[in-house]
Amino acid sequence: MSDKLEAYLEEIGHYLVVREERAEILSEIRSHIFEKAEREYGETTPDALEKTIAGYGSARRVAERYLDGHDIIAPAYKRYLFRYTALLFAVHLVATAAAVVFKTSFHVFPLLFVPRMGVIEALMYLPTALLCDFGITALILFLITRSRKNARLPWPKFAVDIDEVRPPGRLLWNGLGFVAMLALTGAAFYLYVRHHTIFFANLNFKTARPLFTPQAGRWFSLTLIALWAVEALRLGVRMFTGSRWVDVAKNGISLVILGLLLGRPLDDLFAVSVPGRILPYIRLSITVTLLIIAVALAVDLIKSLVIVARRRLEK
Amino acid sequence: MDPEIRNFETEMNRGFLQILVLAILEKDGYGYAMGRTIRDLGYEVEENTLYPMLRRLEKGGWVRSKWDVAKDRPRKFYSITEAGRALRTELLGAWRKQGRILSRVMKEDPHV
Repeated sequence: MSDKLEAYLEEIGHYLVVREERAEILSEIRSHIFEKAEREYGETTPDALEKTIAGYGSARRVAERYLDGHDIIAPAYKRYLFRYTALLFAVHLVATAAAVVFKTSFHVFPLLFVPRMGVIEALMYLPTALLCDFGITALILFLITRSRKNARLPWPKFAVDIDEVRPPGRLLWNGLGFVAMLALTGAAFYLYVRHHTIFFANLNFKTARPLFTPQAGRWFSLTLIALWAVEALRLGVRMFTGSRWVDVAKNGISLVILGLLLGRPLDDLFAVSVPGRILPYIRLSITVTLLIIAVALAVDLIKSLVIVARRRLEK
Repeated sequence: MDPEIRNFETEMNRGFLQILVLAILEKDGYGYAMGRTIRDLGYEVEENTLYPMLRRLEKGGWVRSKWDVAKDRPRKFYSITEAGRALRTELLGAWRKQGRILSRVMKEDPHV
């Protein structure tokens, strides 16, 4: 028996997910290759078998012909893959934000476990959670596909649907937004260079009094300037390309910038006098505000990734 | 041939090939010989299209198969079932109807 033929059959068998029929299919192919080699080359020597195999097609292609109707996820459910993943991830996101703010862990065994964590850990945890949600959704859709039942799955609508049709005139708004963001970033940067902060306790720039201590002011100012600059850059690039990767990059970078700020302790904040009893509330408000921005960015990031993935799938 | 046109042709041929195989199988045969017969009739068919199709027909109960192990190398023989004959009649009816529709359209519009 030819080693090449056995290797070829083994490769076809590797691609055949129809386990119960695999042996039978491979026997058919083996029989056919022998028959063809004998008829066309007058012998079944390893050379003749090798030539016959070459004409039979690649192992993957041959196996795929036997896999019609054996989709891992039925084509009709492919859109559900992204929608359900996004929904599951939204639950994860809210639970993660709550775990960070309330300093506690959440678990609904065996579906959900969100440990108590800090902001940096949360930013590390979320991408892993997204992959996990994607895997669980894919597994469920795979099982539904395998069951061959005509399951009618619910189709929840989002407040901002990713199927929305964008109205014309986007270029104009992008251009205006770009100019506005660039001006804002430039003005903020000018103030920062002059005063080492962009947060003031009064509105008289001649006798400007910084709101925050030098260190806190530097961090808050640079963070805000960086976020605005990234947004300006996104709007600028978006005038030339409709690629969603631009949004993915912008949201990713913004999340990292926010994460760096959130990772810093919020002690010794103010350069002006603030009553001690309201300081904890101010700190909490700042943390919650930054977290809300982070969540909004994360949601937008997921939305962009879903659109990118769907476009690739449609192609 | 343009690969896109080839794809259309492959898609169109799938149904035709099923009718053809069901017609040929009125006389029992094995895969390789069937492929040769089809090619001799002037119709190109890839082996790795014919065999999976035979398997699908067999799974549907329209074709039955039997391994012949009498010779030194086993061969799988196929034959049509009663259900296969009924399917063939249905498919031939549909195919003729399609032909009639196309002829009518082409008569009405000579540019088609």
